[in-house]
Amino acid sequence: MLSKLNIVIILTFPFWIFFQSGSDVSNNYDIKIQHTFYVNHPGEKEPMEVVLIEIQNKDSLPIQYYMDVKSVICLEQVCKVIPVRIFWNNIGEYQNYKLKEGATLEKYEADLFESEDYVKLQSILSNKNSPFKEVKLDEVLTVVDETDFEDVDAVSGATALELNENDTVAGAALTCYTLWHWANGNMVALIKKNTTETVSNEQLLDFLNEKNKDYYLLALNELTKRKVYGEDFTNAVLNRVFKDANLLRASFKYIETAPKSIYFSVVKNIFERGGQEQKIAAIKSLHASPFEISKAYLDLFCVQIPNLKSFQEVMVFLELMQSRNANSTKVIDCTIPLLDANFLIARRTYWFLINENLDTLQQQKVEAFYIKNKDKL
Amino acid sequence: MQRRDFFKKGTTAAIAAGVIPLVASSCASTQDVVYDRKLDKWYHLGTGKTGMPSRKKTIGYDVAVIGGGAAGICAAVAAARNGSKTVLVQDRPVLGGNASSEMRVHLNGVNQLNNGEAERETGIIEEMLLHNRFENEQESFPIFDHVLYDFVVREPNLTLMLNTQAVDAEMKGDIIKSALCWQATTEILYTINAHIFIDCSGDGLLAATSGAEYRTGREGKAEFNETYAPDEPDGWQMGATLLMSSKDMGRPIKYSPPSYVIKYTHEGASLKRKFAGYHEGIWWIEVGSEGDIIADFEVNRHKLMGYLHGVWDYIKNSGKFPEAENLALDWVGSLPGRRESRRFIGDYIVSEKDMTEYKQFEDAIAFGGWSLDEHNPGGIENISEPPSYFHHHFDEVYQFPFRALYSKNVSNLMFAGRNVSQTHIALSSSRIMATCALMGQAVGTAATICNKKNILPREVAQKHINELQEQIMRDDVFIPKRPANDPNDLARKANLIFGSTTLSGDAKNLTNGISRDIDGAINHWQSDGLSAELQLEWELPIALSSVEIKCDTNVKRNIMMRKDSRNDDLYGNAIPPEMLKSLSLEGRVNGVWQNIGDIKENRTRLIKFKFDSMNVTAIRVKMTETYGAEHVKLFEIRCYA
Repeated sequence: MLSKLNIVIILTFPFWIFFQSGSDVSNNYDIKIQHTFYVNHPGEKEPMEVVLIEIQNKDSLPIQYYMDVKSVICLEQVCKVIPVRIFWNNIGEYQNYKLKEGATLEKYEADLFESEDYVKLQSILSNKNSPFKEVKLDEVLTVVDETDFEDVDAVSGATALELNENDTVAGAALTCYTLWHWANGNMVALIKKNTTETVSNEQLLDFLNEKNKDYYLLALNELTKRKVYGEDFTNAVLNRVFKDANLLRASFKYIETAPKSIYFSVVKNIFERGGQEQKIAAIKSLHASPFEISKAYLDLFCVQIPNLKSFQEVMVFLELMQSRNANSTKVIDCTIPLLDANFLIARRTYWFLINENLDTLQQQKVEAFYIKNKDKL
Repeated sequence: MQRRDFFKKGTTAAIAAGVIPLVASSCASTQDVVYDRKLDKWYHLGTGKTGMPSRKKTIGYDVAVIGGGAAGICAAVAAARNGSKTVLVQDRPVLGGNASSEMRVHLNGVNQLNNGEAERETGIIEEMLLHNRFENEQESFPIFDHVLYDFVVREPNLTLMLNTQAVDAEMKGDIIKSALCWQATTEILYTINAHIFIDCSGDGLLAATSGAEYRTGREGKAEFNETYAPDEPDGWQMGATLLMSSKDMGRPIKYSPPSYVIKYTHEGASLKRKFAGYHEGIWWIEVGSEGDIIADFEVNRHKLMGYLHGVWDYIKNSGKFPEAENLALDWVGSLPGRRESRRFIGDYIVSEKDMTEYKQFEDAIAFGGWSLDEHNPGGIENISEPPSYFHHHFDEVYQFPFRALYSKNVSNLMFAGRNVSQTHIALSSSRIMATCALMGQAVGTAATICNKKNILPREVAQKHINELQEQIMRDDVFIPKRPANDPNDLARKANLIFGSTTLSGDAKNLTNGISRDIDGAINHWQSDGLSAELQLEWELPIALSSVEIKCDTNVKRNIMMRKDSRNDDLYGNAIPPEMLKSLSLEGRVNGVWQNIGDIKENRTRLIKFKFDSMNVTAIRVKMTETYGAEHVKLFEIRCYA
């Protein structure tokens, strides 16, 4: 995608009016950078040249983007086209829109937007999964009455676009369609890419601590690309995964690309300090790791055996030891007491131990377990 | 109509004029149909012999299903799979009924509730539609015919008889002893004996000839306290529709209507008569009847052909549709799709309030949720009225009871589809094909219970309804507000169930008996990425020979084939990406995991592993691939000895 870049100093649009809550920071900072792209809009046959404005704060961090677009794709030049300014945050999430003072959006047959229509438009554009995501332009163009889904019979399922009242502004489906694809279409990836390539490592560290998970995930990807694994960064990752197990998979993707020593340190940290899900994820990562893992390192994990509360934790732990640290006397010593744990854990431990090299006393314990529970094995 | 004399007269008897088979695809005369042996002068040049062809056969089955639409197919497949030797008798050369290439009606179901989402039917009907997604990417209706044919003939316990119409019932008391069936293509008169008969033919000729009570027309408001019924009862039945489709030729195409056209002007038409999507057919080209709608059918068909061309002439030549200049008709129906005729009376008659007030039935076996889509009396001959009133849209799915699916007065007769025990207003919603298909699976399964226990359908309702409900739910039917609780399911007795990762839901949900997310509750387990594992542990070893899994196919998104190939949040035109594709099953024996089975190209929501019985203390399902989704989602796991 072709792009041009110009740095523009102090561009102001004093007459633009917001129709919904939201902050416009575009006039508070001096640095605005103009990007020119050719992008596809599903309502247009050819790529369109667009100008995206990036706003940076005093630390050169992109903080907002905006772009001026036409309110409606108008194939036969019969529609009234109103300029609309669309705002995104710095990772391409749509924020709000505004119109020039005095401008009004129109519906079919020259009806004007009512005040509630502007609110609804904001709601539609904020919905990343709006029905407009997948409908085709010709479906939109055949809409007669968008709020009426009674046009569909059991027989033909007539093809009038079926949209719930909340999903569109009645009489302005084409406007909704046009603006939704600007707000949530190809521009999102362009903005995200621009921000990630622009920000410094320190700013990425801030992203790791942002409440919004999308910042965290974006930062992880970029840090992986840049191969940045400093302690500040890994600590930030640790803090996040301890709080939110749903971030484990993405976080381990990053950690697993780290140098060996950092990887082992972080994984051990997660195992020791994390809850059940974190412990399991750490063990599974080690299990699949291409690195050679020292016996001493794995033996250290034994300390945590009393803290393994669930069957799942014990199971993955024993699987790891069986495959990467077999016949470790320290591990065997640590696991023998598990024969007295709840039965499922004890049985799983028994099956681990019978494949290990045990001393006589240990063998006696294992045999005693067998005699007591042979009907349950 | 009871047993007729000609049955008693043996092979040389002439058929009575009153029971001439109504074989729509045949041009046979009475003489052709009734094979008079004495007059047969067949000289076979190959053998040099004179003889008489054999044209009468008697065959026997556990279950005879009449009608090969969605309801009939599901009834027959359910009966066969559950162990009944079954025959499916279809009077057309293709399966699918209204959804066949002869009529091309969309196979709709609960396409959209008021929350904007579908609540799609599962079970056999879903399996059929998924089969179509694999075998018919081009979304061709003629190919759909063959997909359904494949779906039926591959069942080992099921015999398909096409071009065959059940025209008369031979009775013994209140029991149908046999169905007299005329096969048009072979000139054979079949006598089909069966323990249970299921009439899914829509018009229900067999059921009518058995003496089963039925009614036609509209109930008055008072009878069932129906808001949308007329004040007084009348004879109106919703009409049949003739569809068409056109294609863009890339250049202007002229159109001149045929001699039988009925001119259409749209003057005075209700604003609800819209033309959206007209290039793929117009559903309100419809003619009904207030009298005997079956007897009127050929007259109405001729009218519909005239109206179809009249409307197309209006589109092409009125000047009001300039975008139609390049369009040409490339398919026109000749067989109208019927909505309504006989409704047989069961032990319960479903009515409007049962649906709109979401009545809870002890014998619920199916659900619906299409709107109360009552078409106007008169159809296209009454254009000032809206083509349908769409009285009511549903917030959630409603239950449908088993007692509406068997005859009140013919003991071994069940039905599924539009001919079941319900009012005209209830029919306006439940007539939808996927809803009918759920009824079909229920009666097919019930028929097998009847055969196994040597009982009749009413006894299933009275004494074995729990068994019926549990079996159809095991076979992946969803019954609203009725969680499964199969005492034979050993997964429910597992001491521990867990997933290797969890993005949403909980592995414990997989044994809660609710096989979809519904009523605001999550009933799934979803992995965080792939591959993923699900494990069940038992303290004591158990003998297993079957593991059954219900995976996600996104029941909130429709998968039926549509003429417009719509593909958005509500309709998909491909295999659901959520569906599990590759998985394997392992059992732990004496502490060692053993592979039990691998499935590489799964095609169904209900995934079954069947194996020689083995004693295990745990099982592990390893899932490695979906049809596109990043995570795998399951709704149920069951284990059986």
